Amino acid sequence: MDILVLVKQVPDTEAIIRAQSDTELDIENKYSLNFFDEFAVEEALRIKEKLGSGKVAVITLGSKKAVDALRRGIAMGADEAFQIEDPALEEIDGYATAKTLAKFIESQGYDVILCGKQAIDDDSGAVGPALAQFLGIPYLTSIVELKIAADKKEARAAREIEGGTEIITCPLPALFTAQKGLNEPRIPQVAGVMKAMKAQIQKFDLKALGLSPEDIRPKTKILKFYPPGKRPPVKMIEEEFPKNVEVLVKILREQEKAI
Amino acid sequence: MAGIWIFVEQRDGAIRKVSMELLSGGKELASTLGEDMAAVLLGYQVGPMAEKLAKCADRVYVIDDPLFQYYSADSYGESLANMVHTYDPSVLLGGSTFMGRDLFPWLASRLATGYAADCTDITIGDDKGIIAKRPMYGGKVLADVVFPQARPQMATVRSNVFPLKSLEEAARGEIIHIEPKEDSSTIRTKVERAEKKATGKVDLTEADIVVAAGRGIKGPENFHIIEELAEVLNATVGTTRAVVDNQWRDHNDQIGKSGKIISPKLYMAFGISGAIHHTMGIDTSKVIVAVDKKPNALIFDYADYGIVGDLFQIVPALTAEFKKALSE
Repeated sequence: MDILVLVKQVPDTEAIIRAQSDTELDIENKYSLNFFDEFAVEEALRIKEKLGSGKVAVITLGSKKAVDALRRGIAMGADEAFQIEDPALEEIDGYATAKTLAKFIESQGYDVILCGKQAIDDDSGAVGPALAQFLGIPYLTSIVELKIAADKKEARAAREIEGGTEIITCPLPALFTAQKGLNEPRIPQVAGVMKAMKAQIQKFDLKALGLSPEDIRPKTKILKFYPPGKRPPVKMIEEEFPKNVEVLVKILREQEKAI
Repeated sequence: MAGIWIFVEQRDGAIRKVSMELLSGGKELASTLGEDMAAVLLGYQVGPMAEKLAKCADRVYVIDDPLFQYYSADSYGESLANMVHTYDPSVLLGGSTFMGRDLFPWLASRLATGYAADCTDITIGDDKGIIAKRPMYGGKVLADVVFPQARPQMATVRSNVFPLKSLEEAARGEIIHIEPKEDSSTIRTKVERAEKKATGKVDLTEADIVVAAGRGIKGPENFHIIEELAEVLNATVGTTRAVVDNQWRDHNDQIGKSGKIISPKLYMAFGISGAIHHTMGIDTSKVIVAVDKKPNALIFDYADYGIVGDLFQIVPALTAEFKKALSE
């Protein structure tokens, strides 16, 4: 069974990010593999280990730091890594990302494609479903459980919905996006990290995929970035207990009309 | 090419609150543009809901078919794609729910159009196109997204963005029944069963009031005081990552970056220090109240009102006080 995991190197949750101008962000140099992608890589490795055969590949799209996501994937245990790198890919949206990935994947034929439910940079969660659409394969998002049938032709997954879960089956090949709770991602061992440092990354550009910049023109455009509105300063309720409780209830009812 | 379409989400015979909010907001956007607003309702045995929607929208497109009892992109997505091709709306909005965030990116790529996820406002620009405001990087930055050419302009929108208005008018919108092209062989993802949580409460993402406790609650056995407060306020209970990692509560209850993003009218946090993972999930709440023992807890930087104190003393007193106030 061949499994492909989409990975992305993103600013860490702790990184300071500010809108420098309408079109530029100032991002602190703290990056890591996207939080949700770790669950996707882990699940791919577990499927392979359970079946006792197959191959796990990781793929990313982008330049510079992007490759670190691939190395993390290899350190965790992935067998091979692909990077799609092209200047035309610098400013693209989920549509264009999915279209580019689809072009690469079409020629390979994977049984299972996994990715995080969203990347914690743009927070869109668009690439997984859009990629499944381009590939014409079924997909399930936000899964918290995945079982591959013994005949490797079908999967059963639990997907989180509001107030519960749905148990869904679908034929393979299929794409799944990982939600927290799917598994506990492993921490790479030293040997894995060493392997990752030496690993050969196979690179492709748009031309190699038979795409032109025109093909991947984004459908949306960011008009401007700006900081979120600052919340007004906190009003501490200083009265002694139980007076403070009375004061709070009065404020919430009469002033804020929240209750 | 014209018209604003609202994808109306229903489950178990009820229309989701976020869909009704979108109809309220959509009506205003439509009148700004001088266009019509249509509701799109897909499901099985949805007749009464279609009637209700006909009082709110200029047109209601309905698919009522056993195959549409459960959502799948293979059924809902394919049908919507056909409907968009036929009727050509300029805008298509849906709730930022699990279904919306599953369906919309698939549909947008099928229609070769743009999609903005999880928006916190939709306005009309000078060029009559929509401007979708959305948080990025967990809310550290906001972005205004526009759709230069491709139509329809698609976006999913959070709960509590558009205020609910009474839309029912005497004039009745037209109900247009659409026959699906799908049959059971084209729907590849099959829902075996849905497992509901026992609480029966409104989901965190849609709740008007959320009360939450963090590690300060000291153990799962103490959550009953939070549940009791929630009961009085008809609120939904939430929690933090630390509590979920300790397995004191289910992941379904987790608020924050790796849990749920909430935007209630009132959020009350008890014994929550205010780690960035958590505050990223509460930023669009209207009023935030924090109670914590430590006067320098980060949560107070995000709160509108704060009390430094012991939650084991304050929560039961609040429950009693609200009970008293609400019975007056």
